[in-house]
Amino acid sequence: MATGTQNGIGIAASARRIVGVAVLAVRAALRTKTVAALLALLAVCVLALPGVVKGDGTPEGELHILLTYTLGFAFGILCLATLWAACTLFAAEIDNARIHLSAVKPVRAIEFWIGKWLALLALNAGVLLAVYAGVYAQVCWRIHRDGWEAIEQPASRHVARPLLPTPREEARATLAALRARGEVPQGYSERTILRVLEEKANEKYNEIPPGGQQSWRFSLPRPLRAGEAITARLRFETEYHTRTQVSGICRLGCVETARAVEVPLDDFTMKEIEFDVDARAFGQIPADGLRTFELSFMHTGDARHAAGLLLRFRKDVALLIPGGSFWMNLLRAAFVHWSVLALLAAFGLTLSVCFSLPVAAFVATVLLVLTMVSNSVVQVVSEEDAQKWSNRAGMLVSRAVHGVTRRALQAEPLTALTHGERLDADLLCTSLGWNVLLVPLLLAAAGCVVLRRRELADTE
Amino acid sequence: MTRAVTRRRDWDVPENKQPVIETRGLRKVFRDFWRRPTVEAVKGLDLTVNDGEIFGLLGPNGSGKSTTIKMLLGLLRPTAGVIRVLGAAPDDTRAKARIGYLPEVSHLHPFLTPRETLMYYASLFGLPRAQATQRTRELLAMVDLEHAADRVVSGFSKGMARRVGLAQALVNAPALLILDEPTSGLDPIGCREVKDLVCALAKNGVTVLMTSHLLADVEDVCDRVAILDHGVLRAEGKIAELLRQPDAVRFEVEGLDESDAAAVRAELETRTGRRVRQEYPSMSLESYFLQVVARDGRQRSFAMAPFLHSPSASPHSQPSAPISNS
Repeated sequence: MATGTQNGIGIAASARRIVGVAVLAVRAALRTKTVAALLALLAVCVLALPGVVKGDGTPEGELHILLTYTLGFAFGILCLATLWAACTLFAAEIDNARIHLSAVKPVRAIEFWIGKWLALLALNAGVLLAVYAGVYAQVCWRIHRDGWEAIEQPASRHVARPLLPTPREEARATLAALRARGEVPQGYSERTILRVLEEKANEKYNEIPPGGQQSWRFSLPRPLRAGEAITARLRFETEYHTRTQVSGICRLGCVETARAVEVPLDDFTMKEIEFDVDARAFGQIPADGLRTFELSFMHTGDARHAAGLLLRFRKDVALLIPGGSFWMNLLRAAFVHWSVLALLAAFGLTLSVCFSLPVAAFVATVLLVLTMVSNSVVQVVSEEDAQKWSNRAGMLVSRAVHGVTRRALQAEPLTALTHGERLDADLLCTSLGWNVLLVPLLLAAAGCVVLRRRELADTE
Repeated sequence: MTRAVTRRRDWDVPENKQPVIETRGLRKVFRDFWRRPTVEAVKGLDLTVNDGEIFGLLGPNGSGKSTTIKMLLGLLRPTAGVIRVLGAAPDDTRAKARIGYLPEVSHLHPFLTPRETLMYYASLFGLPRAQATQRTRELLAMVDLEHAADRVVSGFSKGMARRVGLAQALVNAPALLILDEPTSGLDPIGCREVKDLVCALAKNGVTVLMTSHLLADVEDVCDRVAILDHGVLRAEGKIAELLRQPDAVRFEVEGLDESDAAAVRAELETRTGRRVRQEYPSMSLESYFLQVVARDGRQRSFAMAPFLHSPSASPHSQPSAPISNS
């Protein structure tokens, strides 16, 4: 009798089992109308939300609503749906004893886990693509309907930040200075002090007072070529009523050609100023392009009336050069979102191996909320605020969750899309490596250990 | 593949057949959330099922039959004792590749069709697609579900779902078939078909372990039975030996008229000095039912799927004792 033994070993057989499990999970989703309900909800979100949320009437505002609100809302729905669906996949099968028929087959725990995870990845990829395609179609339609000018249209640009010491280096330098002055805070470890100083360095606002001047040097991620334009951007937080008298001169110079362009700026009504300079303005461009630039801003406002300009140098000053098409950037953003969903799917699956469906769903939701608030807690609450033991415990938990999830959530694709910043390859690699490979691998290992040790039947 | 069943020297293997299932000192204690023992479902069970046998596990509700089966399949972990199934631990995937299992409740995915169900379980055995498709077709024909092969299972009657369950248990052409209440939910014809199939499989070298509340079913097909009660093995042996009444003899004569019967009876009473009981045997209700249905042309039987016919691939396919009552 031809037993399955001969076919049950080897990579090909393992792949067939994984595909079998994945196909079953996809069929379950499609035939139980879960995906249909989700798609209906997302369609309402993509089609109706831009009509409900009113923008400021500018193309930039419209784009902001489409990219931030619509995609953000849809992504939020998908996060919850993925997490709960993942919690269901094992837990429900164990609860209703349907796993008895599968578990007695020669399927390894890891094959079960990967099969179900791949099913969620495939479903998420399909749904995310549909959502992003819907948003892209809306953007194209608005450009066509409202006749946005080229400069108003969404773009994808490489971003260069000023060449500054890293926050860690700055924190060390600050600590050394504090030591030299004998002003190191007592009662805190050096590690804690360094962490706080690093956070402050990262978020620190620098002021350019009236009459003051600040310069930054940049190295572009790729050379600027002839026929291209370079964009300088300043984003500031100075309040509106104090900045009406702000004015200044921006000077953008190329180090290689020793040529500079001066641009007077006097409209600070918006919190962000961008101006383009054609590469030809920097003189003869060498064959390998231009890479090193220097940007300076001189505050020319009246010292008696004008406020200083408040900027975070690491975040608010940038040079941008063309970096591919908008739709490719949209696709990159979709990939980042997909990677986060892959992580959530892995997390939910492992929870569903450990707990029954209600418990797994509850734990998953609590941890998701904790992840969302931990970032704010860590940034807003200082050491001084957390003196009571309960506050300290809360701070400890928030720090732990933030520490674990920070790398997974560091990419902010919607912010990048809205600002026309290209999501670079290293960011995509980090998302892939961390969210799709490393953490899911650890979660899979944990889930498989539990699945192998857990009894899948009960007294009935 | 070489035979992997390990035998302990002190184990008694009847009739030189190799054991396919062995349990020694098997115990199972269920515990509550706080790890406090709630019930001892199986108490020191020693059981041996030999190659090519049809073995019946009997017992009232709560006797530990299903718990034992779940431990044999690796769904539950024993509290104590040793289990060897096809020479390996219950969670060994090589052993699992040669086991077919039909649970008491079929637990099929309601959104799948029978064809998809069989393809899914074939994929879990790692069967190549062409082979899985072929087997699915043959099994659907065998359980007479070709006409409903592409309807979702959720709309099936209990009997039809049972047939799908039976087909999935055979998708890997198992060397060991474990059937938990296989005739549950089936009509008399279906029951007969399943029993015929079990016998035919055993003739082809498949070892069958089955439980049933219907003792007549067990009596019809099993070579040996074990009776469990409150987790304890109360009796075990060949059915013929267990049911034999050594101090009584029965004669059956066809075409004997009333006067001759009375004369024979009187003669026997005279010779033995004991009272002789005279009966006119009747057929069982099942036989009568099948006879009636056969007259209507509705009786049929499972035709074994071709891939289940070849005895060569089973490592346990040494000639087994003929099934006398098939």
